[in-house]
Amino acid sequence: MNEESYVVKFLGISFNLTNVVSGLIAMVIVFCLVWFLSRNLTLRPKGKQNVLEWLIDFTNGIVSTNVPGEQGKRFNLLAFVLFLFIFIANQMGLLVQVIIGGKTLIKSPTSDPMVTMSLALLVLLVSHYFGVAIFGVKGYLVNSYMRPVSFMLPINILEEFTNFLTLAFRLYGNIFAGEVLLTLIGSVAKSHGLVTTVVALPLEMIWQGFSVFIGSIQAYVFVTLSMVYISKKVEVEE
Amino acid sequence: MLSHFVIGAASGLYVGDLLFYAISFIILVALVKHFAWGPVTKMMDQRADKISGDLDYAEKSRNEASELAAKRQAELDKSQTEATTIVTTARQNGEKQRQTIIDQAQSDVTTLKANAQKDIVQERADALKSAQNDVAALSIEIASKIIQKELNATDQKALIDSYIEGLGKQNGAR
Repeated sequence: MNEESYVVKFLGISFNLTNVVSGLIAMVIVFCLVWFLSRNLTLRPKGKQNVLEWLIDFTNGIVSTNVPGEQGKRFNLLAFVLFLFIFIANQMGLLVQVIIGGKTLIKSPTSDPMVTMSLALLVLLVSHYFGVAIFGVKGYLVNSYMRPVSFMLPINILEEFTNFLTLAFRLYGNIFAGEVLLTLIGSVAKSHGLVTTVVALPLEMIWQGFSVFIGSIQAYVFVTLSMVYISKKVEVEE
Repeated sequence: MLSHFVIGAASGLYVGDLLFYAISFIILVALVKHFAWGPVTKMMDQRADKISGDLDYAEKSRNEASELAAKRQAELDKSQTEATTIVTTARQNGEKQRQTIIDQAQSDVTTLKANAQKDIVQERADALKSAQNDVAALSIEIASKIIQKELNATDQKALIDSYIEGLGKQNGAR
């Protein structure tokens, strides 16, 4: 996992080509999936429409438990896309890892801290934006930083940064560790010929299954915590 | 992990990735919204509306049905009372008619009996009268034959009549 990545400079900004390509593939997969699932919609759902509606109900459930009331409805779409994207991104690295010339081109985009930080930043920007849009600047400041009492201000400010970092690194750490271990077991399999391959194969399979589980859980956790942070900004704490 | 992160930091933190992810994620959200989310949620809302509409309709129909049942029950009760009334009236009418017929028959019988009695009396009187006349004629004939004399029938008639009257009275007394 410590392979080098392709880095290109464009307009003085550096792009990690691995993240760009992997992320793009994940997004294309997500779009193709929902596009395929949403063909031939009928009032009486059947087949793939049921799958899509179950997914929507699932993410809507995450939103409505954390952001109750009418306020929550506007975050349904965000939660849905975020969940699907992170889920697909988490599983991608388990299926394919393309390494060309010692440099990784395709892996799980979420096993890179930059990607998870981008996502976390996006979520927090959304939360702050709606905090201001709903309560106005003054109301937003009071509601976000002076609750429950005004001397909590420094802790609340600090919390903004810790929220951001924990949200990003929880996802990154889980997926990255999973892929590191997969690569390690893989290298064990290749190290001493047939014997180690036979030993390592079941281990690899077990760990892959576990990684699928972790990837699903982390997608759920990321979306849930995003909604928790958003609800802190858009709801008045009692 | 640390070395990886340090590598990331050393090469300028890949600010491009951040931009790329932010922009492409927003595009993805827009695409999903346009092609899948919008139609599906619209369909789900429509379904929810339809279900609640159907439930309302079912509720309404059930109320209507129970209303109709109550109305039918009332009609049934009413027709039962009506039937009872009709039967009672018919019975009363029959009774009355029967009484009338019996009365009529009775009066008819009485009249007939009276007429018959009158006829009998009349006939008896007629028979008596004719017998009287016959007896008178016979007596006169006998008498005229016996006596061989000029007996004036008209003169003696009063006498004979008185005899016969006496006989009649004896008969009537008996």
